[in-house]
Amino acid sequence: MSQETVTADATDGESSTSDLRDAIGGKRILLYAVLALIAVYFLIPLEAGLVTSFKTNEAVINTAPYLPPGPDGFTLQNWAEALDTLSSGLVNSLVMTIPATVLGALFGSLAAYGLTQISWKGQIPIFALFVAGVFIPYQAVLVPLSQFWSMIPLETALSPLWALPLLEPYHADLIELIVTHTAYGIPISTVLFRGYYMGLSDEMVEAARLDGAGVFEIYRRIVLPLSGPMFAVVLIYQFTQIWNELLFALILVGGTGPSAPVTLSLVGLGTSLEGVDFGLRMAGAFLTALPTLLVFIIFGDQFAQGVAGRT
Amino acid sequence: MAELSLDGVTKRFDDGGNDIIAVDEASLEIDDGEFLVLVGPSGCGKSTTLRMIAGLESVSSGTISLDGTVIDDRQPADRDIAMVFQSYALYPHMTVRENMSFGLEESTEMSDDEIRDQVESAAEMMGIEQLLDRTPSELSGGQQQRVALGRAIVRSPAVFLMDEPLSNLDAKLRSQMRTELQRMQEDLGVTTVYVTHDQTEAMTMGDRIAILDDGRLQQVATPLEAYHEPANRFVAGFIGEPSMNFFETTVEDERLVGENFDYPLSEETRADLGDATDVTLGVRPEDIELVDTNEGDGEHDFRTVVDVVEPVGSGNNVYLAFEGDESASELDMDESRTFVATIGGLRRIEAGQPAIARLPEDAIHLFDGETGEALHNRNLDDTETIEPQL
Amino acid sequence: MPSPDRTDVGRSIRSRLSDLRTRLVGDTGDDESPVRTDGGATVSRGSAGTGLSDRLRSLRNSRFVGSLPFWLPPFLLMGLFVYGAIGWNFLISLTDMEGFGDPDYSALDFQQYAELFGSEAFINAARNTFVLLVAFTVLCLVLGLVLAILLDRTLRLQNTFRLVYLLPFSLSFVVTAQLWAWMYDIDNGIINSVLSLGGLRPDWIGNPQLVLGAVIFALVWQFSGYAMVVFLAGLQAIPDEHFEAARIDGASTITMYWRVIIPQLRGSVISALVVLMIGALKAFDFLYALFGQYRPAAGADILATLMVREAYSNQHWAYGSAIAIVLYVLALLVVIPYLYSQYRRGAL
Repeated sequence: MSQETVTADATDGESSTSDLRDAIGGKRILLYAVLALIAVYFLIPLEAGLVTSFKTNEAVINTAPYLPPGPDGFTLQNWAEALDTLSSGLVNSLVMTIPATVLGALFGSLAAYGLTQISWKGQIPIFALFVAGVFIPYQAVLVPLSQFWSMIPLETALSPLWALPLLEPYHADLIELIVTHTAYGIPISTVLFRGYYMGLSDEMVEAARLDGAGVFEIYRRIVLPLSGPMFAVVLIYQFTQIWNELLFALILVGGTGPSAPVTLSLVGLGTSLEGVDFGLRMAGAFLTALPTLLVFIIFGDQFAQGVAGRT
Repeated sequence: MAELSLDGVTKRFDDGGNDIIAVDEASLEIDDGEFLVLVGPSGCGKSTTLRMIAGLESVSSGTISLDGTVIDDRQPADRDIAMVFQSYALYPHMTVRENMSFGLEESTEMSDDEIRDQVESAAEMMGIEQLLDRTPSELSGGQQQRVALGRAIVRSPAVFLMDEPLSNLDAKLRSQMRTELQRMQEDLGVTTVYVTHDQTEAMTMGDRIAILDDGRLQQVATPLEAYHEPANRFVAGFIGEPSMNFFETTVEDERLVGENFDYPLSEETRADLGDATDVTLGVRPEDIELVDTNEGDGEHDFRTVVDVVEPVGSGNNVYLAFEGDESASELDMDESRTFVATIGGLRRIEAGQPAIARLPEDAIHLFDGETGEALHNRNLDDTETIEPQL
Repeated sequence: MPSPDRTDVGRSIRSRLSDLRTRLVGDTGDDESPVRTDGGATVSRGSAGTGLSDRLRSLRNSRFVGSLPFWLPPFLLMGLFVYGAIGWNFLISLTDMEGFGDPDYSALDFQQYAELFGSEAFINAARNTFVLLVAFTVLCLVLGLVLAILLDRTLRLQNTFRLVYLLPFSLSFVVTAQLWAWMYDIDNGIINSVLSLGGLRPDWIGNPQLVLGAVIFALVWQFSGYAMVVFLAGLQAIPDEHFEAARIDGASTITMYWRVIIPQLRGSVISALVVLMIGALKAFDFLYALFGQYRPAAGADILATLMVREAYSNQHWAYGSAIAIVLYVLALLVVIPYLYSQYRRGAL
């Protein structure tokens, strides 16, 4: 039975166009076995973390780390406690990440389009500065950045805002983070969009010029509607980058203030003088990772295809 | 009325300090309603010329004017032209209707109703009215081509510019579209500049053709003039398929001396040569006659051996080598010294067979060996004698 | 093709189109410009104004000026935060700023750098940084390439495997640090619970000999999936004919990949490197979260952690800034060749 399937597959493979890329017969079983083994390597830390997050402290010590807890060792306490500790961090992260992601992508798209309007020679020096900005170690701007934000009395300047519902003075910290993340997101967004826009047909843009569309109309009616796939990539990439970031939050917000994003709150979770509470830590880690994991599980294919379109 | 004129139009590109001259002092007058084809090998500057007319490239020097008004400082949209691109350049996210309306929306103050009427009339004319709500990805190549044309007509421009618009179609569709495009242009009477690298397209479509090589305009003429009275060796070789045969010769008294033959000249022909010493003899394949071995002993008859025969159905392309010239047929085309004659499709002839090639004097072209300029073109008297027989 | 009909349609449309034309021309009342001109100026060369107005017009028409509203605001925002900040940082590194005072910009010197290069902690961190960067990028590229080649040879489940391999890339360094802290846990972690079967019980995080390797291993786990996605895209862009031609030429599978396919993946290597470098530069987040403090375990200190610790834990601002400048120079050593190669390929 299984042999039949294999032979059928093999002949199938021979007639297919990508025949030579496709391993044949027994080799194919080996191939899938290897791929599955590697998948285990990629999944085991996640699996171990997940089962541990449902274990009581005793079960963490007494059961094998990769096995699910027995009926006595099972608890939702870790998740409840993690949610309680991290909920304000999760909200802060969301409030910070969404505007910074969207603004960064929009600025990147605008900048990339603007650059395509200039002759190739003229845009090289400007674009080179954008590209070099991609590789900036955040440490290199850290001290000036904290000086800069401490010089700007954002909380006082925006004080009328805090009278509005849902807004609190500590949100000034989040605005600082939004501006900061937007600014440092511009280089990579610009580079990604520019690569994509260079691939758009020149003739199509010229046709639009001949049709009487100005620079702005060409952007609004031709380029922007065609940017969808790249927006998917940039938004996914920037969302993960900003959501996951720790250093700026640590320096600009510091400690465990009310405006701390979730990554900052997660660092100290489950550590105390008595030792490490791994069950709680794992639950917290998964809560923190949930939004980006979901984004990748839902939009991962688009992301991969967008990356493909770029190379 | 739309008369387009180019006066000394030049395009220089700066390439790391070196100026590259893509178009060199091109001057052209294109009459109202004329279909002018710009033809030449790739890289000859024909597309650049078209793009300068469109305003997509700036003009380095010289002027382009439409009905006497200089237009080279106008934005492309303000030149009253429409262009059809090689890739069609349709907007992929818009339906056919939106593609065709786009230009009217952007460049005119027309109301939505007027735009819809005009788009529908143009679509009807191109036979694409049933495709109006599809997007370009749902169309075949031929349909996309029609939409691209429709997008150009709908704006009723003074001038159509077309950049190899048929080159992405398969051969059969291409010849069909060729006819249709010509008919459309005749009906609309819009001045058209058409760029192609395909000399057949140029010959069949153009009222006049302008042949470019290396950025320079070689000749502007009707297709038949360019064919029978080429201005220089380049034009002679470029127009016509298979190409004209060329033989390098030197002038000795009343004869042309080639590597494998002596060609005596009549007094009138000799007079055209003036002081030239190196002369290229050109003769079109269809003008070479293959005569019976026992009657071919005239002064313009040469003994040859058939090297290769290419049957094309209606005729045969016969590649000949001069007798005794053993190394004539080399694999390397540049080294090959064979020449080609076309004969009727029903005549049987085989490789290796000896044959007498007659190069009639009234059919030869002579070009200056150095400048390539035509010194003497074929005698056209016999074309008139044939006409009454039709 | 029903040609007579078509011609009739052509005639009628022609007259309708020309009607519209006249109407439009009449509307604008300008013979030279039947279509709307932006801003309403129609200038033929003869009637063009001289000097200033000429220049103003060419300025308005210039594509450069037209492009400014698009790229200049993002450029300025980015420029201020990136290049402005780096310049400022350099200035601070030349002062003696410490503790809570403001920097004194009147006495600038390179004293901090002199101290830096004499410091054992700095040399140690620089060496660890180098090892981490090289090992991390090379391992990610190799593993990513192997995974991509394997996946490229499958017909089924390709998207599923791709997603599984890519999942860790979506995680925060902070999360990765928690997961691997548990993996490496000396008593109950998975790795030691397997190794203990062989009687081994290494302290992955506490042992200075092992900790850097353990960190690199975790980072490779997180990033090799991304390298795989980039390589897979590159492989799939190679036409089947290249594989077939290599086969017909008698190449073995290994020769085929090594000599025909991999050389075509240069572009993929470069675009994967970009993201790997960005990731490696953020390794601070991982180390900070793994150890829960500014000071990582001995043997895992890198320039990124040293800089933050000096500046924000010890308040040696100027000294920290000097380390940051060194880190930036290291980044430039990667960026400049990258920019140059992109420029040469015309890919910039």
